[in-house]
Amino acid sequence: MNKNKFKILWALFVIFFKAGTFTFAGGLAMLPVIEKDVVEKYKLMPKEDFMEYATLAQTLPGVIALNCACFVGRRAGGFLGMLVAGFGATFSAFALMIAATVLLQFVPQEGPVAGAFMGIRAASAALVLSAAFSLGRHNLKSRFAVVVMLAAFALVLFAKVSAPLVVLAAGAAGYVYQRIKSKGEVAK
Amino acid sequence: MIVKCAELLYSFFKIGLMGFGGGYSMLSMIITESEKFSITAQQFADLNALDMIVPGPIAINAATYVGYLYAGFWGALAATVGVSLPSIIIITLVMRFIEKYKENKFMNSFLSGVKPAAVGLIAAASLTIASGVLLQPGAQLATLFSDFFGTVSVFLVAVFAVTAVCNIKFNINPILLTLLAGAAGAIWYML
Repeated sequence: MNKNKFKILWALFVIFFKAGTFTFAGGLAMLPVIEKDVVEKYKLMPKEDFMEYATLAQTLPGVIALNCACFVGRRAGGFLGMLVAGFGATFSAFALMIAATVLLQFVPQEGPVAGAFMGIRAASAALVLSAAFSLGRHNLKSRFAVVVMLAAFALVLFAKVSAPLVVLAAGAAGYVYQRIKSKGEVAK
Repeated sequence: MIVKCAELLYSFFKIGLMGFGGGYSMLSMIITESEKFSITAQQFADLNALDMIVPGPIAINAATYVGYLYAGFWGALAATVGVSLPSIIIITLVMRFIEKYKENKFMNSFLSGVKPAAVGLIAAASLTIASGVLLQPGAQLATLFSDFFGTVSVFLVAVFAVTAVCNIKFNINPILLTLLAGAAGAIWYML
């Protein structure tokens, strides 16, 4: 491997390792940090290209930060670059989560600590509900969207349909609905 | 052991493949899919609290956690690789056809259905967790209608409601809210 290629691979690892280690609250928060490094510090690609990848990373399925790492890594360092960047983006989350999971088993669940955990769990369930609200603000702008939302909600909660299947069915419904809508507009 | 890891790999691969819309949407799928892995509502609530202190993508944290509880270190690795693989495969394909993909009408109309569905899934996930963690110690949800106050803890429901309103309406920091809820729980226990 020549020296230049090694330098690029190292830069990819550092950028995504840093982004994966020092940003909390999920992948979306990492994008501005990654942009600065990729575009300005290491000059791996022009800003427009990065923005295009970042947008695609959010519309494609999968972990957003990892999608972004795969795009940037592949573009700058080929297949190996993609693996190195992807490893960098996920390694900290994996290692630190294992440590946290192991430590959690050691917390004695009795006395006031048990009470504290009950409070934390109740808050935690409320914060997931809050995530649904903040996503809903942007994504429930038509009657169709509201119907799909309610259907997905009822299917997984009451009919116990598998969630990936619901997503697939919702996508198919979206496709059919847009086809009918565009046909209706043409007919007018 | 190998069977357990293969189950994790398969389930999380499916979740990664259908995981449109980021971390919480995948988290909700993990919750509905995880009956297989015998993870309780309590453990999911713990996971969501840990997510706030452990850095990194939510879906990677969740895969590691569920995998570790179900099958130890190798389970954690299998689940994490499973949820990551679709990204590597899909992006290799998209890079090849990137110009075509950008103006893909099929994808846009597909997403117009997927995005609102993700909202429904996350809301359902929240109620699934809530139905497990808002109960009196040792109570079962089955007695909800015959013995309401013996089943549901009014204190925990209040914590749930106050946290939801504070975060949704007043945008108060989730980590602060979690710490306050923990303190309130400890004090309530001692009273």
